[in-house]
Amino acid sequence: MSERNSTVLIVDDESHITHVVALKLQNAGFETVTAGDGEEGLELAVQHGPDLVITDLQMPYMSGIELAKAMYAREDLCDVPVLMLTARGYALEQGDLDDTHIESVLSKPFSPRQVLAVVEELLEKSARKATAQRSNEAA
Amino acid sequence: MLAVASVVGAIAGFAGTLLAGQAFVSALPAWSVVPIGGALAASLFVLPIASLLASDLKLAKRRIGLLSDERDDAVAACPRLVGPIIQGVEELARAWRDRHAEASARAKELEVRVKVAEAERRYAEAVLDTLKDAVIVADGFNELTMANRCATRLLGIDEGGFSHAKLQDLLVDERLSQEIDEALRSGRIARQRHFEHQLNGGAGEGGEAIYDVTISALPDVTTETPEREDGIGGVVAILRDVSREREISQMKTDFVSQASHELRTPLSSISAYIEMLIDSEAGDEESRQEFYQVIRAETDRVTRMIDNMLNISRIEAGIVQIERTEVDFVEAARGVLETMRPQAALKSIKLIEKSGPLVYTAQADRDMIQQVITNLVSNAVKYTPEGGRVTVTIENDDATRSVLVGVQDTGLGIPPEAIDRVFDKFYRIENYKRVAKGTGLGLNLVKHVVETVHRGGVGVESEVGMGSRFWFTIPYVHERV
Repeated sequence: MSERNSTVLIVDDESHITHVVALKLQNAGFETVTAGDGEEGLELAVQHGPDLVITDLQMPYMSGIELAKAMYAREDLCDVPVLMLTARGYALEQGDLDDTHIESVLSKPFSPRQVLAVVEELLEKSARKATAQRSNEAA
Repeated sequence: MLAVASVVGAIAGFAGTLLAGQAFVSALPAWSVVPIGGALAASLFVLPIASLLASDLKLAKRRIGLLSDERDDAVAACPRLVGPIIQGVEELARAWRDRHAEASARAKELEVRVKVAEAERRYAEAVLDTLKDAVIVADGFNELTMANRCATRLLGIDEGGFSHAKLQDLLVDERLSQEIDEALRSGRIARQRHFEHQLNGGAGEGGEAIYDVTISALPDVTTETPEREDGIGGVVAILRDVSREREISQMKTDFVSQASHELRTPLSSISAYIEMLIDSEAGDEESRQEFYQVIRAETDRVTRMIDNMLNISRIEAGIVQIERTEVDFVEAARGVLETMRPQAALKSIKLIEKSGPLVYTAQADRDMIQQVITNLVSNAVKYTPEGGRVTVTIENDDATRSVLVGVQDTGLGIPPEAIDRVFDKFYRIENYKRVAKGTGLGLNLVKHVVETVHRGGVGVESEVGMGSRFWFTIPYVHERV
C-alpha cells in the first residue's frame, strides 16, 4: 500500500487533538506533521507538501476554511485533499466549500478510527485520480 | 290723533324690547307707556302709582301719558285700551321666552357634551401616548384620524398636522401603508394582519428596530347606517418594538450553541483518547498513563465549564445561595496565592501580595470572593510569559466605602478592540487561545459575583505588551436593594 508512507498534516489549536490523531495515523504507518494554527499549517504544507491535510475549523490567525482556500490558490497544493474536523454543531455551507479541496467533514467529538478510515479512503481516491491522469497523458 | 300714534309707537317699541328678549331677562326695567286722555288723566292722579320711577310722557308740552316700569300702572290707568295689547304681547313674549330658554338649555347641554367628548378624546389620547407601542388609526377612507406619540415619533408624522390626511401621503414606509390599505379593502373585520417588519427609529442598534405589527379592521360603530357596505369604519395598526426580545432570544440561542460548542472540544479529546485505549493504540505503560492524564484534565475542564455556567445562570436567575460574613480580604488573597504558587512556579512567575497595615474587611460571601480572586490570578498567570510578575493589591477605597482589590500582571495585555468584551460570556481573544486554555466564562463569573451579588464594581486597564490590571471593589456594608 503506497499510502502507508503518505504524509498527513494535522492542524488544530488543541494540542491533545493533534497528538491523538497523529498517533493513530503513525500507528497505521503514516508520516505526520502537526501545526497549532492555520498560518503555521500553511507554512508546513508549503514546506512538506503533504498528501492530505486534516484541519480544525475554528483556529486563531487563520481558520480551517482560510487555510483550505489558501492551499487551493497555490499550484503546488491545489490538489491536496482536505479533511475538516469541526466542533460546530452545523454542517458547512456550500459557499464555504467553494474554491477549496475540502473532500470530507467530520464533526467533533470524532472517532480516531473513523478519521483513519476517511484518510485512507481519500488517499486511495486521489491515487486513483493520479493513475487515471497519468494513463490519459500516456494515451 | 298724534297722541294715540305716539302711544301705539311707544307700545310697539316696548313689545319690540320684549321680543328682543330683554324685557324679563335683562336687568334693565321694562318700561310701559300709559296714555292719558280726558277724565282718565284726571283720575290718574287719584290712582296709586306702583312704580317709584314713573314719570309724565309729554308731547309738545302736553302730558299725553305716563312712563312706567310697572305693568299695573298701565292697566290701572287704561284697562280697556292697554290691557288686551299688553296681554297679547306678554303671551307672545312668554312663548318666545320658553323657546329661548329651551334653546339655550339645549345649547348648554351640547356645549357640555362637546366638552365631555373632547375631554374623553384627550383622555384616550393621553392613555395611548403612555404606550410604548405605536398606535395609528385610520378611518374607512384611509385617512389618519389618530396617532399616539410613539407613532408620530416613529413614523415621522407631524403631531399636530395630520388630521384627515391620506395615510399613503403620511407614511414613508411602503409595506405598512400597503398592508393597512389591504386590511381596509379586504372588508373582513375578524381577520387580523400580523407580521414582523424592520423600521428605522427603534431601540435597536443603528436606529433600526424590528417591529411586531398587528393591523385590525374596525367595525363602524359611530352610526347605525355605515357609509361602507362592508361595515368597516377604519383600521388600527399597532407596532410593537420587539428588538430587545429578539436580542435576548438570540443571546439565549447563542449561549446554548456556544456552550455546546465549548463542551465539544474537551469531549472530543476525552472520547478520542478513550477509543485509543480501547483499541490498544497506546504502545506502552507510559503512553497509557499519558492518555489517562489527558482524559482526567479534559474531564476537569468540562466540570469547570459546567460549574461556571451553572453559577452564572444561578446568579442571573437570582437563585444563588449567598452566605455573607465579615471577610478579611488580605487573608482571602493570601489563601488564593498559596494555591496558585505551584502553577506560577512552572513559569517562574512571582506572586506578590501588597497591602497596608489597616483592616480590609467587607460583608461578603467568602467562597465567592476567593473564586473571584482565583479567576483573576489564574488568568494573570496564564497570560504572563515566563519570569513575569503577578501582584495582588488590597486597599480601602474611602470614596466608594469599599475594599479595592487589584491584580496586576506583566503579561500580554489586551488589545483595545477586545477590552470591552473580556467580561462577556464565552468571549476569548482569538489570538490568545493558543497561549492558554480557558472556558471563556471565568471573567463573566467575576463580573456577576462582584456586580450582581455584591453590588460592587469591576474593571480593567491594559496595554498590549505591558500587562493588564484587573480590579474589583466590594462595599464594606451590604445594603439590600
